[in-house]
Amino acid sequence: MAGVANTWGYGAMTNSLNDMRHAQAMIFIGSNAAEAHPVSMQHILHAKEVNNAPIIVVDPRFTKLAAKADEFVRIRPGTDCIFIMGLVNEIIQKGWEDKEFIRTRVAGFPEMAASCSQYSPEEVENVTGIPAAQTRKVAKILATNRPASLTWCMGGTQHHIGSSITRAFCILQLVLGNMGKSGGGTNIFRGHDNVQGATDMCVLSHTLPGYYGLKDGSWKHWCRVWDVEYDYIVSRFKEKKWMNAKGFTLARWYEGVLGEEKIEQYTPIKAMIQWGCGSNSNSQYDRVVRAYNKLDLFVIIDPFPTMAAATCTSDNVYLLPCSSQYETSGSVTSTSRQIQWRHKIVEPINGCRDDYSIMEELVKRLGFADKFYKNIKEVPEDITREINRGTLTIGYNGQTPERIKKHMENWHTFDIETLQAKGGPCDGDYFGMPWPCWTEEHPGTPILYDVSKPVAEGGLPFRNRFGMEHTYEMSGRTENQLAAEGVYNPGSEVKGGYPEFKDVVPGTNWKTDLSQKTLKEAVRRGMAPFGNARARCVVWTFPDQIPIHREPLHSPRPDLITRYPTYEDKPNHFRVFTRYKSEQSPDLAGKFPFVLTTGRMVEHMGGGAETRSNKYLSELQPEMYAEVNPRTGHNLGLRDGEMIWIESPEGGKVKVKAFFTERVDEHTIFMPYHFGGVLMGESLAGNYPAGHAPYVSGEPANVCTNYGYDIVTQIQATKDGLCKISRA
Amino acid sequence: MAQRKIRNSSSVGTTTSRVTLNPKVARRSFLKLSAATAALTTAAMTTRMTAKAASPAAVKKAYPDSKMVRSVCTHCAVGCGINAEVQNGVWVRQEVAQDHPVSRGGYCCKGASAIDMVTSEKRLKHPMKRVNGKWQKLSWDTAMDEIAAKMTAIRDNDGPDALHLNGSAKVSTEMAYLQRKFAAFWGSNNVDHQARI
Repeated sequence: MAGVANTWGYGAMTNSLNDMRHAQAMIFIGSNAAEAHPVSMQHILHAKEVNNAPIIVVDPRFTKLAAKADEFVRIRPGTDCIFIMGLVNEIIQKGWEDKEFIRTRVAGFPEMAASCSQYSPEEVENVTGIPAAQTRKVAKILATNRPASLTWCMGGTQHHIGSSITRAFCILQLVLGNMGKSGGGTNIFRGHDNVQGATDMCVLSHTLPGYYGLKDGSWKHWCRVWDVEYDYIVSRFKEKKWMNAKGFTLARWYEGVLGEEKIEQYTPIKAMIQWGCGSNSNSQYDRVVRAYNKLDLFVIIDPFPTMAAATCTSDNVYLLPCSSQYETSGSVTSTSRQIQWRHKIVEPINGCRDDYSIMEELVKRLGFADKFYKNIKEVPEDITREINRGTLTIGYNGQTPERIKKHMENWHTFDIETLQAKGGPCDGDYFGMPWPCWTEEHPGTPILYDVSKPVAEGGLPFRNRFGMEHTYEMSGRTENQLAAEGVYNPGSEVKGGYPEFKDVVPGTNWKTDLSQKTLKEAVRRGMAPFGNARARCVVWTFPDQIPIHREPLHSPRPDLITRYPTYEDKPNHFRVFTRYKSEQSPDLAGKFPFVLTTGRMVEHMGGGAETRSNKYLSELQPEMYAEVNPRTGHNLGLRDGEMIWIESPEGGKVKVKAFFTERVDEHTIFMPYHFGGVLMGESLAGNYPAGHAPYVSGEPANVCTNYGYDIVTQIQATKDGLCKISRA
Repeated sequence: MAQRKIRNSSSVGTTTSRVTLNPKVARRSFLKLSAATAALTTAAMTTRMTAKAASPAAVKKAYPDSKMVRSVCTHCAVGCGINAEVQNGVWVRQEVAQDHPVSRGGYCCKGASAIDMVTSEKRLKHPMKRVNGKWQKLSWDTAMDEIAAKMTAIRDNDGPDALHLNGSAKVSTEMAYLQRKFAAFWGSNNVDHQARI
C-alpha cells in the first residue's frame, strides 16, 4: 500500500465492490477473486454480462477467476511490473493515453513515459513470456473500454519489487484516465476481513494510528488524543530515539530472536505475543519455528490453537482462548472502506474471554490502566469515539458508533448500484460511510479522487501530500505538484489546485486540529482538507523513482540478471540486515529449476487455524497438495497423486501430494498456503492440546517460500521463489 | 447441471424448518450446498438460490422467542452480512442476509459455515501453558499474573524492545487500535500485523 499512498495520497481500494458493476472492462492481476473474494463475483459478473465488459486475468495460473476471463494472460511470476509498464508504453505509443486527465491531474508523466519506452511488447515477451501480440491486444482492450477497473491482491505485492509493481498499476490507471470515476479505480481486494481497519489503525511498526508516522509531531498528536503527557510516553521507551525508529515487522521479527542476521536494536527479542495471527503465513516458516522455541515468553491469543502452539514445544508458551468476533462487538472495515458494526451474537463460549477483557486484564497488571483507559469507559463504543477524535488524516471522524449501528439496522435501504441510502434514516449516506467521512453529517466517500461530486457529498481531488513543486532528477524539469486550473469539485471556492489546509486554528493543520474546525471549514468552502494536487508517476523518496523491472531475487532466468539486477543490500531495513545483491545469483536456477508460487483456495482462510477446525470446510477441502504440470511430472518420472518433496534454496522442505494439472505451466509449482500441523514430513498432531488439533492438517507451503523482501515495505516475496522437486 | 444441483440442494435447506436442530440433516444439506457451490467455481450463491433459502416460509418458522442479530462474516474483506438467530443466548441458526447491499444474500462456503466458529469442538476452553513439554490448564487469573510478571521482568532486564506484538487483521478496528496503543504505552514500535505480508 506504500506504493499506492505515495502515488495519490491514500493506500486503499479507491472504489467499491458494488461500483465494479459499472466497469466497462476489468483487469485482474495477482488476484483470484473467485476463490479469495467469492461474493464479490456477483458484481464482477454483473459488469461482464450487463455491460459486456471484458475480463482480463493476468496470472501465472489458470485460476478459477481465469475461467471467467475473456482474456487469460499467463505471466511469469515476479514480472508484473514490466508487463504493466509495457502496457503503459504501448498505450502511449499508440496515442491512447487520456491527455487531458494527464495534463491536469498527473505529475511526472514525461519522465515516466521516457522510462517505460524501454519496455516494448517484444521485450515484455522476452521477460514475462506473454506474447507481444497479447500485450498489444490487452492495451487495445483497455483503451477502447473505459473506464476499466484494475484489481490486484497479494500476487501483485508479495515480491521484492512489490512497491514498484503497485505503483505501476496506479500509473496504468492514471494514463488511461480511469481514476476518480465510477467503474474505474484501483480496486485492491484486501484479504482478511479487517485488513483495512487494522491497517488504518496502523498495527504496524512504522506508524501510529491513521498513518501519522513516528515523528515527534505524530506522537504529540496522539498524546493529545490519549490525554497523556508526551513525556510519559517518552519515559516508556528505552531512549527517545527508539520512538522514531521503525520496529521489526511481522515478516522478519524472528531475526531479532535467532541472532543469525545482524540486527539494529539494543536487545534481542525475547518475548512474543501473537494475538489473532496464524503464524504459518510467514515465509521460511521453519526458521520461525526455531525462533518460537528460543523465546523466553511466547503468548498465543486465539480462539483455536494456531500452528505455533504445535511447533513451540518449550515451556515458554501460554495459550489464551479469546472469543471469536461473533462473541464480541465492534466495527470492521471492508475492502470497500465501508465500516460496519459487528454486533455480538452470543456471549463468549466455554471459558473464553473477548479481546477487550484480555487487554484490560493485561494492562491493569502492567500498571498503566488509568492512563491507557482515561477516555474509555464504555467498551467498545468509547474506543470508536477515541478513534473518531484522533484519526483525522483519513477522515475516520464522522463515523460515530451511533451512525455505524444505524447503517447496520438499515442496510436494506441502500441502493445496490450506488450504495447510497434512498430514504429512511440514513438517507443520502453511502453504506458504511467509506472514509474519508469528514463530519458527522458527511455521507462518506464512495469513490476516492472523484471531482464530479462536491466534497460535502463524497467528492475529492488527489491529495496534496508531497509538497508544492518538484525538480525531477532524471530530466531537470520543475513541475508544480498541484492540480491544474479547472480541476475542482463542484462548489469549490478555488477553481484549481490548492495546498492542504492549515492554520485555520493557529498552529495546527487539518490533521492535528482536534477541534475539527479545519475539516468543517474546508468542507464548508467546498474544498478538500488535504488540498487538491496531482497524482505522481515519480516517487522521489523510493529507490526506484519510476517503476522498473528487476528480476526476482531468486530468478529462474540467469540471463536477465545482469540487465535487470536487484538492489544493493540494505543494512537496516526495519532493524535487520536485508540481502538483495548478495543474495541474487545466476547459479541458483540450475539447482532449483522451478518457480514456486502460492495462493488461496475458497474453503480455507489465512493460516487455516479457523477453517481447518471447521468440520464443514475440512470435509470440503481436506488435503494439502501441490499443482504440477503433467509434462513436468512425467519428465521427472512422477505419477499423479504421488507424494513428492518440494525443497527451497534455504533448506525448507515439504512432503505433499502431487496434483497434475495444466493450471500451472511447466516451469511453475503452486501450493495453497492454508495448511499446517505437519512440519517437514512430520505430523505435529500430538503437540496440540488434546482434542484441539484441527480436523485437517498438512504441510505449510511457507516452509518452502524463499528469502526475499520488498525494498520499501518488507513484505515477503512468497510468489516468485525457486524450488526443486523429487519423489518422496 | 450445476444450476439444478443448487436448486435441489437449496430445497433441502428450506423444507427442513429448523436445520440446526438435527445436526445430521443440517450437515448434509450444508455439504450438498457448498459442494455444488464450489463446483460453480465462483462459489457465490446465486440470487435465485438465496431467495429460496430465505423465503418468507422459512423465516416465519423462527425459534420461539428468538431474536435476529445482524453481524458481519469474519473471513474475507468483502464484508458479507450475517443474520444470526439467537435463542436463549444460543446461536441456533444462521440466515443469509438477502437484503445486505454488498453480499445480497451471497455466501461462499466459509461464510455459510460461520456458525461453526462458535460451535466447533476445536475451540480452546481454558488458558494453558506447557509444563515439561505437556499442556497444563490454568485459571485466567494465574495465566494473566504469570504472563504480566514475565513481561515486566523482561522489560526491566532487557528493555521494552525485547517484546514483539503480532497484532491482527481478524479483530475489530477498536481492538486493532488498542493493540497499537498498547505498543505505544509499553514503549516499543515492535508491533505489526498480517497486512505487512
